[in-house]
Amino acid sequence: MRKIKSTVLRVLSYLAIAITFFALLSIVLYICVNGVPNLSLSLIFGKFSSDNPSMRFAIVTTVVLVILALVVSVPIGLGCAIYLTEYAPQTSKIVRAIRLATETLAGIPSIIYGLFGALFFGTALKMGYSILSGVLTVAIMILPTIIRTSEEAIKSVPDLYREGSFGLGAGKLRTIVKIIIPSAANGIFSAVILSVGRIVGETAALLFTLGSVAKMPSSIMDSSRTLAVHMYISTRDGGMAGRKVAFATGVILIVIVTLINIFTLYLSKKAGKMNEN
Amino acid sequence: MNTKQLEKISKALFFISSLVSIGAVLLICIFIFSGAAPALGKIGIFKFLLGTQWKPNNDPQKFGIFYMIIGSIYVSAGAIVMGVPIGILSAVFLAKFCPKKLYVLLSQAVSLLAGIPSIVYGFFGMMLIVPFIAEHFSGNGNSLLAASVVLAIMILPTVITISENSLRALPSSYYEGAVALGATKEEAVFKVMLPAAKSGIVTSVVLGIGRAIGETIAVGMVAGNSNILPVSIFKSVRTLTVNIVSEMGYASDLHYDALIATGAVLFVFILLLNMLLGVLTKGGTKA
Amino acid sequence: MKKIIMAVLSCVIAAGSMAGCGTAAEKSQGQTTQKSSFDASSEITVISREANSGTRGAFDELMKIVVEENGQKVDKLYSEAVLVDSTDAVSSKVEVDKYAIGYTSLGSVTDKVKALTVDGIEATAATVKSGQYKISRPFVLATKGDGNALSKDFISFVTSNQGQKAVEEKGFIKLDGAKDYTSAGLSGKLTLSGSTSVEKVIEKLKEEYIKLNPNVSIEITYSGSSAGIKDVTEGKVDIGMSSRELKDSEKAVLTPTIFAHDGIAVIVNKENPLNGLTSAQITKIFTGEQRTWSGADK
Repeated sequence: MRKIKSTVLRVLSYLAIAITFFALLSIVLYICVNGVPNLSLSLIFGKFSSDNPSMRFAIVTTVVLVILALVVSVPIGLGCAIYLTEYAPQTSKIVRAIRLATETLAGIPSIIYGLFGALFFGTALKMGYSILSGVLTVAIMILPTIIRTSEEAIKSVPDLYREGSFGLGAGKLRTIVKIIIPSAANGIFSAVILSVGRIVGETAALLFTLGSVAKMPSSIMDSSRTLAVHMYISTRDGGMAGRKVAFATGVILIVIVTLINIFTLYLSKKAGKMNEN
Repeated sequence: MNTKQLEKISKALFFISSLVSIGAVLLICIFIFSGAAPALGKIGIFKFLLGTQWKPNNDPQKFGIFYMIIGSIYVSAGAIVMGVPIGILSAVFLAKFCPKKLYVLLSQAVSLLAGIPSIVYGFFGMMLIVPFIAEHFSGNGNSLLAASVVLAIMILPTVITISENSLRALPSSYYEGAVALGATKEEAVFKVMLPAAKSGIVTSVVLGIGRAIGETIAVGMVAGNSNILPVSIFKSVRTLTVNIVSEMGYASDLHYDALIATGAVLFVFILLLNMLLGVLTKGGTKA
Repeated sequence: MKKIIMAVLSCVIAAGSMAGCGTAAEKSQGQTTQKSSFDASSEITVISREANSGTRGAFDELMKIVVEENGQKVDKLYSEAVLVDSTDAVSSKVEVDKYAIGYTSLGSVTDKVKALTVDGIEATAATVKSGQYKISRPFVLATKGDGNALSKDFISFVTSNQGQKAVEEKGFIKLDGAKDYTSAGLSGKLTLSGSTSVEKVIEKLKEEYIKLNPNVSIEITYSGSSAGIKDVTEGKVDIGMSSRELKDSEKAVLTPTIFAHDGIAVIVNKENPLNGLTSAQITKIFTGEQRTWSGADK
């Protein structure tokens, strides 16, 4: 009887992982089967027009948006992580408040970020629909990821390193810049990669801030579309041509996400090796 | 500038950057709630929360979100009922039963699942899951069930990753001890390890609820979005998030404010979930 | 250990074959679409647009879905109607649902769905223009007051022969008596916002206009008719695009220019044997009075 129960439990867990894997497989296959035949160089790199809804401008916007959001968010997030690990007394009220705030930010759904971005950056700060408004909105959105992941990375730097550096007469700042950040670089980098993934896949927060103009942006005050927004809009009003673009964009998005995953795996393996040494 | 000053300045800079997240939370609260205030004032808080009719095309207009609150809860509950058992069992497999060679593939699959944009899930659901339900069950497929299935898949990576981590974080003595006492491998996992990792698993469920209740784009493409009380899982359902995203572009005046107020209600839900999470993780560290 | 690997492998194979079944099921669904197994006693899936969409506004008014009762406007749309937020989403839903009915811009009807005749009249550009096909609405560009020089020039292009050619090419109904347009050589940035229904035609118009006026850049946001009207009223953009006529309150501040007409086609799944409905039947279906297809062909 016990044996049967055990077997049942084990089979259930096999079944569960099979379902998980099957779900992934069918989504990826569905998008690829429908999308790959529609991929063409002109669709990816051609000039956007009503006859060729190319994604070139969306690729550019995605890259610009990701870079700018990281430029805004990484220094702030890293600074916060350093403060939390290296300076702040762990039990103080302010640390608790910071942690609470970070956790709250992490839990806020993207649609709320979108509403807030539209109300604050778009209307109150008069940025309208623009790359800048989109950048600032997603910068806040990825902040908790960057803070938490780099905090973990900094925490995992052995105290021995710090003590050694102090022992050699280095100040705190010098220790942080020369010893701690380089040792935690891998972890910090995976924080960056995770954030890139989040931004690339984002739609709801960008619709109300970045807007959805189908045009190569000429300044950061212009509205444009990221790939995910381009896919969303294409499923809405592009007719059959739009659906083809949607699938093709979906393939590109899946490829990007896969690359990001492989990269994180590589980083964590490298980090693992470093820890072993 | 001497070193001491530099140290001071840098410390101040680090401090300031750590205040940004507090500032952001405060700003978000202020703007969402003050944006919601005019609508709540004009419509009346109870009429808004408990009203069952959402008719912006009526004159006078009617804005009540009761069914959508219920809709959001139902949809998330459906996702949890389907997603959590699969997620936890998958985590058990990954943490305990998985051969090493397969592990890389499967854990990569899980993180790929986490990285797929919600628009892809929505499209998949709209073109395959909705017609499938219409064909093999009852109704037209645009339903609570379709939304829950899509969301269940979407919360899987959250549930799996966190549960797996909390299972792995347990000292190996739990497992070895149980086996030494004569338990089978499976009994050791399910009767000793799972209960011991309870707080981590509960956390994963709460985070999953958060993801489900906040999901917008994917749900809107499969749920049907009628403002009704779904009496069966094959009936259409409208969530708070869908209400916002689908009408925001078209709205003006009171309608616009009412949508911000819908966002505020959703925000309150999320804050409550966060508080719950805070209590749970605190309990976890104590134990 | 070997056992485990075997078990896992079998699971993967099972999953793989499930995936196979999935695609097979997909295919068989595609086949049933051809083989026709239309059950007329099935419930109709009513598909409508989100409140305040320009298309829905026009459809609701013409088909009497929103009616006046005791001096109040009441929206009678069937409460279980599936609501979608874009033109294409209507077509996609109708395409995969045998029992669905929806409405969409005439220019957006694809060959994957079937457009019904209304009161015996086919929905074509010609019947809309002659006024025989009743469900139609204008496309409007609205400026605040008279608008700036650039907006005026753009609007004069849109209503010119060259602009109207693009309108016709994209499947919409052009205006009569258009004049030729010559470029005034203006430069600057023009911003537009509004209806998603006009996207196809306005993108084309934009391209043609920029060919003639290379120093002008045009930015267009598609957010919906009401949002476009709101944006231009607030001065956020130069021109608002609407796919319904302006309300009197809006006309007080804005100058509307009609630049095309569009029919609203009532569409059903290709498998549906029905070819036409009367407006009264359409009203009944969309208000939920009639729930199955079997009543519809009577």
